[in-house]
Amino acid sequence: MSGTSTEYLLILTAVTAGVTFLLRALPFLFFGTGKRPPALVLSIGNVLSPAAIAMLVVYCFACYVRDRAPAEHMFGLAELAAAVVVVALQLWKRNPLVSILAGTAVYMTLVQTVIP
Amino acid sequence: MNQKPVLKQAFISSLPVLMGYTAMGFAAGVLLAAKSGIRLPALWAFLTSATSISGALQFMLVDWIRNSQPMLDVALLTVCLNIRYSMYGLSLIERFRGIPLAKKLYLIWSLTDETYALEVENKVPPGGDSILYCITLAALNHFYWILGVVSGALAGAALPFPNKGIDFAMTALFLVILTDQCRERKNRVYAAVGLLASIACALVFGAGKMLIPSMILMLSALVVFRKPLEKLESWKFGGKK
Repeated sequence: MSGTSTEYLLILTAVTAGVTFLLRALPFLFFGTGKRPPALVLSIGNVLSPAAIAMLVVYCFACYVRDRAPAEHMFGLAELAAAVVVVALQLWKRNPLVSILAGTAVYMTLVQTVIP
Repeated sequence: MNQKPVLKQAFISSLPVLMGYTAMGFAAGVLLAAKSGIRLPALWAFLTSATSISGALQFMLVDWIRNSQPMLDVALLTVCLNIRYSMYGLSLIERFRGIPLAKKLYLIWSLTDETYALEVENKVPPGGDSILYCITLAALNHFYWILGVVSGALAGAALPFPNKGIDFAMTALFLVILTDQCRERKNRVYAAVGLLASIACALVFGAGKMLIPSMILMLSALVVFRKPLEKLESWKFGGKK
Protein backbone atom coordinates (compact mmCIF):
# COMPACT_ATOMS: atom_id res chain seq x y z
CA MET A 1 0.00 0.00 0.00
CA SER A 2 1.46 3.36 -1.00
CA GLY A 3 2.17 5.73 1.88
CA THR A 4 0.36 8.58 0.15
CA SER A 5 -2.91 6.69 -0.53
CA THR A 6 -6.00 7.74 1.42
CA GLU A 7 -6.40 4.19 2.72
CA TYR A 8 -2.85 4.13 4.14
CA LEU A 9 -3.25 7.58 5.69
CA LEU A 10 -6.55 6.64 7.36
CA ILE A 11 -5.06 3.48 8.87
CA LEU A 12 -1.94 5.40 9.89
CA THR A 13 -4.04 8.02 11.68
CA ALA A 14 -6.11 5.37 13.45
CA VAL A 15 -3.11 3.25 14.51
CA THR A 16 -1.01 6.15 15.82
CA ALA A 17 -3.96 7.76 17.63
CA GLY A 18 -5.16 4.42 19.02
CA VAL A 19 -1.77 3.29 20.31
CA THR A 20 -1.03 6.71 21.80
CA PHE A 21 -4.42 6.79 23.55
CA LEU A 22 -3.90 3.27 24.91
CA LEU A 23 -0.52 4.27 26.33
CA ARG A 24 -2.06 7.28 28.04
CA ALA A 25 -4.90 5.12 29.40
CA LEU A 26 -2.74 2.21 30.66
CA PRO A 27 -2.34 3.35 34.27
CA PHE A 28 -6.07 4.10 34.55
CA LEU A 29 -6.95 0.68 33.11
CA PHE A 30 -4.62 -1.37 35.29
CA PHE A 31 -4.10 0.60 38.45
CA GLY A 32 -7.31 2.61 38.69
CA THR A 33 -8.41 0.47 41.62
CA GLY A 34 -5.44 1.46 43.76
CA LYS A 35 -3.16 -1.51 43.03
CA ARG A 36 0.53 -0.68 42.66
CA PRO A 37 2.16 -1.61 39.33
CA PRO A 38 4.69 -4.49 39.42
CA ALA A 39 8.28 -3.36 39.97
CA LEU A 40 9.50 -4.62 36.58
CA VAL A 41 6.83 -2.65 34.69
CA LEU A 42 7.59 0.55 36.58
CA SER A 43 11.32 0.16 36.16
CA ILE A 44 11.22 -0.63 32.41
CA GLY A 45 8.69 2.14 31.84
CA ASN A 46 11.00 4.63 33.49
CA VAL A 47 14.17 3.65 31.65
CA LEU A 48 12.81 2.84 28.19
CA SER A 49 12.28 6.48 27.28
CA PRO A 50 15.94 7.65 27.30
CA ALA A 51 16.98 4.47 25.46
CA ALA A 52 14.27 4.94 22.82
CA ILE A 53 15.10 8.59 22.23
CA ALA A 54 18.82 7.74 21.91
CA MET A 55 17.81 5.13 19.32
CA LEU A 56 15.85 7.72 17.34
CA VAL A 57 18.84 10.06 17.31
CA VAL A 58 20.99 7.22 15.95
CA TYR A 59 18.27 6.48 13.39
CA CYS A 60 18.25 10.07 12.12
CA PHE A 61 22.02 10.05 11.73
CA ALA A 62 22.02 6.59 10.12
CA CYS A 63 19.66 8.01 7.49
CA TYR A 64 21.99 10.95 6.86
CA VAL A 65 24.92 8.57 6.47
CA ARG A 66 22.90 6.53 3.96
CA ASP A 67 21.53 9.49 1.97
CA ARG A 68 24.50 11.80 2.03
CA ALA A 69 27.56 9.76 1.08
CA PRO A 70 30.65 11.02 2.96
CA ALA A 71 33.22 12.87 0.78
CA GLU A 72 30.59 14.49 -1.44
CA HIS A 73 29.02 16.20 1.58
CA MET A 74 32.18 16.94 3.56
CA PHE A 75 31.78 13.90 5.81
CA GLY A 76 28.54 14.98 7.46
CA LEU A 77 29.93 18.34 8.54
CA ALA A 78 26.55 20.07 8.12
CA GLU A 79 24.77 17.45 10.25
CA LEU A 80 27.45 17.53 12.95
CA ALA A 81 27.60 21.33 13.07
CA ALA A 82 23.83 21.65 13.35
CA ALA A 83 23.70 18.92 16.03
CA VAL A 84 26.36 20.73 18.08
CA VAL A 85 24.36 23.97 17.82
CA VAL A 86 21.20 22.21 19.06
CA VAL A 87 22.84 20.45 22.02
CA ALA A 88 24.93 23.47 23.05
CA LEU A 89 21.94 25.84 22.93
CA GLN A 90 19.78 23.40 24.84
CA LEU A 91 22.42 22.97 27.56
CA TRP A 92 22.85 26.72 27.78
CA LYS A 93 19.37 28.22 27.32
CA ARG A 94 17.09 25.25 28.08
CA ASN A 95 14.58 26.49 25.53
CA PRO A 96 13.57 23.65 23.17
CA LEU A 97 12.02 25.97 20.62
CA VAL A 98 15.10 28.17 20.31
CA SER A 99 17.42 25.14 20.06
CA ILE A 100 15.33 23.41 17.38
CA LEU A 101 14.73 26.50 15.27
CA ALA A 102 18.36 27.64 15.44
CA GLY A 103 19.74 24.17 14.66
CA THR A 104 17.36 23.71 11.75
CA ALA A 105 18.16 27.19 10.40
CA VAL A 106 21.90 26.44 10.56
CA TYR A 107 21.38 23.11 8.81
CA MET A 108 19.15 24.56 6.08
CA THR A 109 21.61 27.38 5.43
CA LEU A 110 24.54 24.95 5.21
CA VAL A 111 22.86 22.45 2.88
CA GLN A 112 21.42 25.18 0.66
CA THR A 113 24.69 27.07 0.31
CA VAL A 114 28.10 25.67 1.23
CA ILE A 115 27.48 21.91 1.63
CA PRO A 116 24.88 20.83 -0.93
CA MET B 1 -19.69 29.28 42.89
CA ASN B 2 -18.58 31.41 40.00
CA GLN B 3 -15.97 29.47 38.03
CA LYS B 4 -14.78 32.38 35.91
CA PRO B 5 -11.46 32.76 37.81
CA VAL B 6 -10.76 29.08 37.07
CA LEU B 7 -11.16 29.60 33.32
CA LYS B 8 -9.05 32.73 33.47
CA GLN B 9 -6.24 31.01 35.38
CA ALA B 10 -6.32 28.05 32.97
CA PHE B 11 -5.87 30.45 30.06
CA ILE B 12 -2.98 32.25 31.77
CA SER B 13 -1.28 28.95 32.62
CA SER B 14 -1.63 27.81 29.01
CA LEU B 15 0.09 30.85 27.47
CA PRO B 16 3.64 29.39 27.38
CA VAL B 17 2.17 26.32 25.67
CA LEU B 18 0.51 28.60 23.08
CA MET B 19 3.97 29.80 22.04
CA GLY B 20 5.55 26.36 22.07
CA TYR B 21 2.80 24.36 20.38
CA THR B 22 2.02 26.80 17.60
CA ALA B 23 5.72 27.10 16.68
CA MET B 24 6.56 23.38 16.93
CA GLY B 25 3.27 22.42 15.29
CA PHE B 26 3.95 24.89 12.50
CA ALA B 27 7.31 23.26 11.78
CA ALA B 28 5.75 19.78 11.76
CA GLY B 29 2.95 21.01 9.47
CA VAL B 30 5.37 22.59 7.00
CA LEU B 31 7.36 19.35 6.96
CA LEU B 32 4.23 17.30 6.26
CA ALA B 33 3.22 19.54 3.35
CA ALA B 34 6.74 19.83 1.93
CA LYS B 35 8.14 16.33 2.29
CA SER B 36 5.40 13.70 2.53
CA GLY B 37 4.06 14.07 -1.02
CA ILE B 38 0.42 13.67 0.11
CA ARG B 39 -2.57 15.46 -1.35
CA LEU B 40 -4.62 17.71 0.96
CA PRO B 41 -1.85 18.08 3.58
CA ALA B 42 -3.94 20.48 5.69
CA LEU B 43 -6.72 17.90 6.07
CA TRP B 44 -4.29 15.20 7.20
CA ALA B 45 -2.49 17.71 9.39
CA PHE B 46 -5.81 18.34 11.11
CA LEU B 47 -6.79 14.68 11.46
CA THR B 48 -3.42 13.50 12.77
CA SER B 49 -2.78 16.41 15.13
CA ALA B 50 -6.31 16.35 16.57
CA THR B 51 -6.27 12.62 17.26
CA SER B 52 -2.71 11.95 18.48
CA ILE B 53 -1.59 15.30 19.99
CA SER B 54 2.03 14.12 20.05
CA GLY B 55 4.96 16.21 18.87
CA ALA B 56 7.59 13.60 18.10
CA LEU B 57 4.96 11.43 16.41
CA GLN B 58 3.82 14.31 14.20
CA PHE B 59 7.37 14.57 12.81
CA MET B 60 7.89 10.80 12.47
CA LEU B 61 4.63 10.49 10.49
CA VAL B 62 6.27 12.23 7.55
CA ASP B 63 9.00 9.58 7.44
CA TRP B 64 6.48 6.76 7.69
CA ILE B 65 4.36 8.14 4.84
CA ARG B 66 7.43 8.51 2.62
CA ASN B 67 8.60 4.96 3.35
CA SER B 68 5.08 3.41 3.27
CA GLN B 69 6.15 1.96 6.63
CA PRO B 70 4.34 -1.31 7.53
CA MET B 71 1.69 -0.82 10.25
CA LEU B 72 3.32 -3.20 12.71
CA ASP B 73 6.45 -1.02 12.61
CA VAL B 74 4.29 2.08 13.02
CA ALA B 75 2.55 0.63 16.08
CA LEU B 76 5.81 -0.50 17.74
CA LEU B 77 7.53 2.80 17.02
CA THR B 78 4.57 4.72 18.40
CA VAL B 79 4.93 2.71 21.62
CA CYS B 80 8.63 3.61 21.73
CA LEU B 81 8.05 7.29 21.05
CA ASN B 82 5.21 7.68 23.51
CA ILE B 83 5.86 5.12 26.25
CA ARG B 84 6.51 7.98 28.66
CA TYR B 85 2.81 8.91 28.52
CA SER B 86 2.00 5.61 30.22
CA MET B 87 3.79 6.85 33.33
CA TYR B 88 1.96 10.17 33.59
CA GLY B 89 -1.42 8.74 34.54
CA LEU B 90 0.02 7.19 37.68
CA SER B 91 0.15 10.57 39.38
CA LEU B 92 -3.32 11.60 38.20
CA ILE B 93 -5.35 8.47 39.07
CA GLU B 94 -6.49 9.89 42.41
CA ARG B 95 -7.36 13.33 41.02
CA PHE B 96 -9.45 11.89 38.19
CA ARG B 97 -11.24 9.27 40.32
CA GLY B 98 -15.04 9.32 40.19
CA ILE B 99 -15.46 11.99 37.51
CA PRO B 100 -17.87 11.33 34.59
CA LEU B 101 -16.46 8.92 32.00
CA ALA B 102 -16.60 11.36 29.06
CA LYS B 103 -14.56 13.94 30.97
CA LYS B 104 -12.10 11.30 32.11
CA LEU B 105 -11.64 9.97 28.58
CA TYR B 106 -10.97 13.46 27.26
CA LEU B 107 -8.45 14.18 30.02
CA ILE B 108 -6.63 10.94 29.16
CA TRP B 109 -6.86 11.57 25.41
CA SER B 110 -5.30 15.02 25.77
CA LEU B 111 -2.49 14.14 28.19
CA THR B 112 0.65 15.59 26.57
CA ASP B 113 3.97 16.40 28.28
CA GLU B 114 3.04 20.05 28.77
CA THR B 115 -0.59 19.46 29.76
CA TYR B 116 0.55 16.86 32.28
CA ALA B 117 3.06 19.25 33.80
CA LEU B 118 0.45 21.99 34.18
CA GLU B 119 -2.19 19.61 35.57
CA VAL B 120 0.23 18.31 38.18
CA GLU B 121 1.21 21.89 39.06
CA ASN B 122 -2.57 22.52 39.45
CA LYS B 123 -2.68 26.30 39.92
CA VAL B 124 -6.46 26.27 40.37
CA PRO B 125 -7.72 29.31 42.37
CA PRO B 126 -8.83 28.49 45.96
CA GLY B 127 -12.31 26.95 45.96
CA GLY B 128 -12.21 26.44 42.19
CA ASP B 129 -13.15 23.26 40.36
CA SER B 130 -9.89 21.44 39.66
CA ILE B 131 -11.40 19.18 36.97
CA LEU B 132 -12.82 22.17 35.11
CA TYR B 133 -9.35 23.72 35.32
CA CYS B 134 -7.72 20.58 33.87
CA ILE B 135 -10.25 20.22 31.06
CA THR B 136 -9.96 23.88 30.07
CA LEU B 137 -6.17 23.64 30.04
CA ALA B 138 -6.24 20.41 28.04
CA ALA B 139 -8.70 21.81 25.49
CA LEU B 140 -6.70 25.02 25.03
CA ASN B 141 -3.43 23.11 24.55
CA HIS B 142 -5.18 20.68 22.19
CA PHE B 143 -6.45 23.64 20.17
CA TYR B 144 -3.01 25.33 20.04
CA TRP B 145 -1.43 22.14 18.73
CA ILE B 146 -4.00 21.68 15.95
CA LEU B 147 -3.72 25.37 15.08
CA GLY B 148 0.08 25.11 14.74
CA VAL B 149 0.13 21.94 12.65
CA VAL B 150 -2.70 22.96 10.31
CA SER B 151 -1.37 26.48 9.71
CA GLY B 152 2.08 24.98 9.04
CA ALA B 153 0.60 22.58 6.48
CA LEU B 154 -1.35 25.41 4.82
CA ALA B 155 1.73 27.63 4.70
CA GLY B 156 3.95 24.81 3.45
CA ALA B 157 1.51 23.97 0.65
CA ALA B 158 0.76 27.56 -0.36
CA LEU B 159 4.23 29.06 -0.30
CA PRO B 160 6.83 26.70 -1.70
CA PHE B 161 10.10 28.00 -0.31
CA PRO B 162 13.61 26.54 -0.46
CA ASN B 163 12.90 23.93 2.17
CA LYS B 164 15.89 21.65 1.66
CA GLY B 165 17.10 20.53 5.08
CA ILE B 166 13.89 21.36 6.98
CA ASP B 167 13.67 17.69 7.99
CA PHE B 168 16.51 18.41 10.43
CA ALA B 169 13.79 19.76 12.77
CA MET B 170 12.98 16.17 13.74
CA THR B 171 16.62 15.31 14.46
CA ALA B 172 16.86 18.52 16.49
CA LEU B 173 13.72 17.64 18.46
CA PHE B 174 15.13 14.23 19.43
CA LEU B 175 18.49 15.81 20.32
CA VAL B 176 16.72 18.30 22.59
CA ILE B 177 14.72 15.58 24.37
CA LEU B 178 17.87 13.46 24.78
CA THR B 179 19.90 16.42 26.10
CA ASP B 180 17.22 17.17 28.69
CA GLN B 181 16.91 13.53 29.72
CA CYS B 182 20.69 13.27 30.16
CA ARG B 183 20.66 16.10 32.70
CA GLU B 184 19.46 13.39 35.06
CA ARG B 185 22.45 11.22 35.78
CA LYS B 186 20.55 7.94 35.96
CA ASN B 187 19.11 8.39 32.47
CA ARG B 188 22.60 8.51 30.92
CA VAL B 189 23.17 4.78 31.46
CA TYR B 190 19.93 3.93 29.64
CA ALA B 191 20.59 6.42 26.86
CA ALA B 192 23.96 4.68 26.40
CA VAL B 193 22.20 1.29 26.15
CA GLY B 194 19.92 2.70 23.44
CA LEU B 195 22.89 4.28 21.67
CA LEU B 196 24.98 1.08 21.62
CA ALA B 197 22.10 -1.22 20.66
CA SER B 198 20.96 1.00 17.81
CA ILE B 199 24.45 1.72 16.44
CA ALA B 200 25.03 -2.05 16.33
CA CYS B 201 21.72 -2.58 14.51
CA ALA B 202 22.37 0.31 12.11
CA LEU B 203 25.68 -1.32 11.14
CA VAL B 204 24.14 -4.78 10.72
CA PHE B 205 20.74 -3.98 9.16
CA GLY B 206 21.26 -0.54 7.62
CA ALA B 207 19.29 2.66 8.30
CA GLY B 208 16.05 1.49 6.70
CA LYS B 209 15.64 -1.69 8.73
CA MET B 210 17.33 -0.86 12.04
CA LEU B 211 14.45 0.31 14.23
CA ILE B 212 12.65 -2.93 15.03
CA PRO B 213 15.83 -4.98 15.76
CA SER B 214 17.13 -2.06 17.85
CA MET B 215 13.97 -2.01 19.94
CA ILE B 216 14.12 -5.75 20.53
CA LEU B 217 17.82 -5.65 21.43
CA MET B 218 17.38 -2.63 23.68
CA LEU B 219 14.38 -4.01 25.53
CA SER B 220 16.06 -7.39 26.08
CA ALA B 221 19.19 -5.67 27.38
CA LEU B 222 17.12 -3.51 29.76
CA VAL B 223 15.25 -6.53 31.13
CA VAL B 224 18.20 -8.98 31.29
CA PHE B 225 20.72 -6.50 32.72
CA ARG B 226 18.26 -4.63 34.93
CA LYS B 227 20.19 -5.17 38.17
CA PRO B 228 23.71 -4.36 36.89
CA LEU B 229 22.34 -1.31 35.05
CA GLU B 230 20.70 -0.06 38.24
CA LYS B 231 24.09 -0.25 39.93
CA LEU B 232 25.59 1.79 37.10
CA GLU B 233 22.96 4.53 37.53
CA SER B 234 25.00 6.34 40.15
CA TRP B 235 28.33 5.69 38.46
CA LYS B 236 30.29 8.88 37.97
CA PHE B 237 32.58 9.64 35.08
CA GLY B 238 36.18 9.88 36.25
CA GLY B 239 35.54 7.60 39.21
CA LYS B 240 35.12 10.43 41.75
CA LYS B 241 32.65 9.75 44.56
